[in-house]
Amino acid sequence: MATVVKPVVEYPDPVAAWGSGRRLRFVLVLLLLTAFYSASWHLAKVDPGRLLTGLPKMAGWASKAWPPATDELPVLLLRTAETIAMAAIGTTAAALLALPLCVVAARNVTPSLALYYPARWFLNALRGVDSFVFALLFVAAVGLGPFAGVLGIALHTWGSTAKLWAEAIENIPPGPLEAAAATGASRVKVIAYALFPDVAPSMVSVGLFWWEFNVRASTVLGVVGAGGIGQELKNSMDLLLFPRLLTIILLILVTVTVIDHTSEWLRRKLE
Amino acid sequence: MAATEARIASASNGNGLVARAEGLSKRYPPAVTALDGVSFAVRPGEFVAVLGPSGAGKTTLFRCLTGLTRPDRGTVTVAGRDIWQSPRELRRARRELALIFQQFNLIRRLSALENVLVGRLAHVPTWRVISRSFTRADRQLALGCLDTVGLLDRAGTRADELSGGQQQRVAIARALAQRAKVILADEPVASLDPESSATVLASLRSAVSAGVAVVASLHQVHLAREYADRIVALRGGRIVEDTPASRLGTRAIEQIYGRNGEQGQS
Repeated sequence: MATVVKPVVEYPDPVAAWGSGRRLRFVLVLLLLTAFYSASWHLAKVDPGRLLTGLPKMAGWASKAWPPATDELPVLLLRTAETIAMAAIGTTAAALLALPLCVVAARNVTPSLALYYPARWFLNALRGVDSFVFALLFVAAVGLGPFAGVLGIALHTWGSTAKLWAEAIENIPPGPLEAAAATGASRVKVIAYALFPDVAPSMVSVGLFWWEFNVRASTVLGVVGAGGIGQELKNSMDLLLFPRLLTIILLILVTVTVIDHTSEWLRRKLE
Repeated sequence: MAATEARIASASNGNGLVARAEGLSKRYPPAVTALDGVSFAVRPGEFVAVLGPSGAGKTTLFRCLTGLTRPDRGTVTVAGRDIWQSPRELRRARRELALIFQQFNLIRRLSALENVLVGRLAHVPTWRVISRSFTRADRQLALGCLDTVGLLDRAGTRADELSGGQQQRVAIARALAQRAKVILADEPVASLDPESSATVLASLRSAVSAGVAVVASLHQVHLAREYADRIVALRGGRIVEDTPASRLGTRAIEQIYGRNGEQGQS
């Protein structure tokens, strides 16, 4: 009989049942992506033709830039040092401000949820505004110069560092904290003795990352008048002093490379 | 004579007991009754083993005794303090009650000695904790506790570089350093090999001879018989057996764990 070879029950096949709906979704996603990118293309005013006509101009500048100017090297080095100093002070201030706030913004150790949510919102707001934008505001408030840059870096880095630190705290195993609390020790003691030794290495690593990031970021802060090598960069561009511009770009490259490698080496040593 | 009278007097007002649970009930809605009217008391210097199949309520009992879980009904008194009276009373009570965990819960990056000093946290001022400058007396006490568990030579070793058995002995030293009246240990040897289990239980046993009461939940009946003075058995959230260890018979064991036919029930 035929019924013997034919299966009596047809098993429900999850992949097949999924198939048609899945295909429809794929087409829909594809259409959405196409719409998104064509809209973006228009909004961004992408025009490869203009790039082609602009390239020879840039090549002309490049040929005029060689050899790099060395007569103002002492001043430019001073400006570079200013940039590194801005990043160092800004990042350190941010770290000191982030230290108490990261505890409040970590769900597992926060003193109360009534403080946790406002702390998170505050940090997200700081993080959402770039140090460049903060610097722009501070130039108007405290005047031109590196101090405005320091303040800009400090505020943005405060938010970013505290958020990453809070995440590091949330990722540590709860057992040792529970064990310390179970001895009858107060919350402050538990945090100081059982929590910080565990997260300290990743906290230092995050801090170093932000210092390195801020050296890179502060090279452009001068463009808005917040001091450092960026200010010289903008001046040279405005005056079309190409050999001087080349010197500045080379200085930035060397500085960023050295700082990147130092920070990376230090972070690897921590692990 | 006077001493005997004093002892009777203190026993009658409850001071002779280091920890006491009265009518503890805890339900986890919708359907789990973890504890169902559990009462028992711990006397100074006795080793109580808590036996019972998985799901019998052992862990909930330990969590209630330490104030990590609040029971629906019933009271817990530690060293004469009602632990749910106020957070302050809970913290005070916790000083008298040391905990040992199945997973040791040491601070990984700190040395064995620094982990033992966790036992002193509640006893020293906050500035000493933050600056990590413990008194000479506290450090000597901690070293003495490491000596008791046989790990004096590993005092400077980082916790995560010790073996599981060694870590659990550091945890015992931490409990001893607390100078508590009772040590509670929830499955202290469940993740250890037989040899380490024996050393860990021997360390707990030596704490008992120093006058500390120990309450430990164990999985193996033979370990309970070998190390404990008294055996309390839980089943379905109730105490089904409370007897001197020497009198625990085969029949009682069957009652605790169920006969072959019933074993899968819980």
